[in-house]
Amino acid sequence: MDPLVLARMQFALTAGSHFLFVALTLGLATLVALMQTRATLSGSAVHARMTRFWGQLYVVNYAVGIVTGLVMEFQFGLNWAGMSRMTGGVFGAPLALETIGAFFVESTFLGLWIFGWDRLNRWVHLALIWVVTLTAYLSAYFVLVANGWLQRPVGYEMRDGAARLTDAGALLGNPTAVLAFGHVLFGGLLTAGFFMAGVSGYHLLRRTAEVEFFRRSMRIGLVTVIASVMPVVIVGGMQYQYLQPTKTGGGDAAAAVARFTARFGPDDYMPPGMAGVGEAVMEGLWSLMLLLAVVALVKVWWGRWLVRGRVFHVVMVCAVPLPYVAMLAGWVFREVGRQPWMVYGVLKTRDALSPGVGSGTIAVSFGVFTALFAVLVAVNAWLLARFARRGPDGAALGAAPPVAPSAPAVSASF
Amino acid sequence: MESLAVVLLAVFAGGYLVLAGADIGVGMLLPWLGRDQRERRVVIASFAPFFLGNEVWLVASAGLVAGAFPGLEHRLLEELYPVAVVLLVGWVVRDMGLWLRGRVDAAGWRSVCDGAVVAGSWALGLAWASLLGSVLGGGGLNAGSVLGLPLVVLFAWHGAGFARLRLAGELAARTERGRGRYGVSALVLVVALVVAGSRLPWSEVVAEGGGLSLTAVAAVVLLPLLAASQALVWRTFWGRVDSPSYL
Repeated sequence: MDPLVLARMQFALTAGSHFLFVALTLGLATLVALMQTRATLSGSAVHARMTRFWGQLYVVNYAVGIVTGLVMEFQFGLNWAGMSRMTGGVFGAPLALETIGAFFVESTFLGLWIFGWDRLNRWVHLALIWVVTLTAYLSAYFVLVANGWLQRPVGYEMRDGAARLTDAGALLGNPTAVLAFGHVLFGGLLTAGFFMAGVSGYHLLRRTAEVEFFRRSMRIGLVTVIASVMPVVIVGGMQYQYLQPTKTGGGDAAAAVARFTARFGPDDYMPPGMAGVGEAVMEGLWSLMLLLAVVALVKVWWGRWLVRGRVFHVVMVCAVPLPYVAMLAGWVFREVGRQPWMVYGVLKTRDALSPGVGSGTIAVSFGVFTALFAVLVAVNAWLLARFARRGPDGAALGAAPPVAPSAPAVSASF
Repeated sequence: MESLAVVLLAVFAGGYLVLAGADIGVGMLLPWLGRDQRERRVVIASFAPFFLGNEVWLVASAGLVAGAFPGLEHRLLEELYPVAVVLLVGWVVRDMGLWLRGRVDAAGWRSVCDGAVVAGSWALGLAWASLLGSVLGGGGLNAGSVLGLPLVVLFAWHGAGFARLRLAGELAARTERGRGRYGVSALVLVVALVVAGSRLPWSEVVAEGGGLSLTAVAAVVLLPLLAASQALVWRTFWGRVDSPSYL
């Protein structure tokens, strides 16, 4: 098979599965931080339990986010050496800032938060989850700076066939990065809102004894959905003014194609049709989510209304995948729509591929990582569902560790 | 600016080898240190609070390479593609074994996760040994990438030294046989890294222009903050462990 197709599919699968977990991580971290703030300020027991239950789901989800992210970072060096050779001097900088300035702190403090439960002062423990949440957003911002530069390269000059950064402000303030960050921020909240509402709906549907716990959770989920459904589309729409001419079509597209043909020779410069499909799916699902948000807006005022209404609970359970599918479709629109370019108007995807790596090697690594990720995504979806189903008493996070067998039992095993 | 970036990379990569090297080593020795599932969970608890904060040193090193030495990433990874794939797969398998082990209470599940931790730790240790060997041998897939494999015992030795400081009672007595000395093995790992690093052609792979300065300056400014956050982790969790943790 063509190594280009394999390398692109491998990246799409890695980035796609990574993003499924990232979206929930971003939104859920925020909601957990808010719940823990409420619990710490008021000493409310139900909010402390909510922090542990939703925090448990957040941690299970985070673990897969990390490992898929690792593979994604190293894939640039493995499969896309042509890109680091020509544009690494610019593209690498936001990746460096992401790892050193954001992810390092996020992960270190998350370890402290998970293992420091009941060991640290409660105000310190609360501060930790806020640092984790803010650095998670910072991390998302830097990654989108890197991606935004591929969409709309700014602040650089070409010298001796390699790009050099000339204007760090332009790179960091690139509207295709800043607006995408806002879009992802509200998309993450929307995902977490639907997730919380869906899990709560499941428990209320089953006539749980934890009525107060899940009524409050349902309310938080729905308020989050209502608060983010309009901002996500507004920030999303603002990005259209920065779309590449070949993506918007019309006269600008013809002019761009003529320009590219003159400079880079004849090629298919119009994006594949799949990009338009992604756009349509994203917009269609958004309309569906807006409809649910309107229903939620009616329901959210009355506590009893949240506990009753079986149809409503079933609908909320079924709605959990909506933001996920919409976001993946949005990425297809953004990334497939950039083709045939890796860095728009600068470097073609074909030329960004590692020249020395044969199709056999890429095929083996594609097979290995695809199988590994399929197992990971399946196991973690199952674990999330399992912990969600078990309810607040099943959370191991912050619980006292299992009681150790008495000393004689240990020595007897030798 | 280039020498500053090289020093910074040495700090981050050295931090990774010393800190994460210990938990890789303990993972490799898991079958010998812990003889049943409960014991193995306690052995894992010896590094559990640290492992998230340990592997970030490598992620930061990779980021520093991407920002300051973009040529190095493809020179190392592309030529050593099979080694890099083993390294990544080992890393992912090991992390998932660690994260998932405590989440389901069933003997079969824990056995599979223990197996993933041990196999992943060995794969990771061997991949690093091979990578160090090939850099020492002049770069690319060469005799060094095979001859370097025995360097993997360095990680096991380092892990034994770490476990000796962290475990208590019966388990601690068992680690004595590894004759680990955490400080000595840490020094050996750093020396191996510096020797390997001195063989890399830094000026051929360095980033031109503002990307290098942006990366290096940000890393220098942030380093004290990162060190402080790590110190907080060590201060909070240091001491001997005799009971399981969240993992």
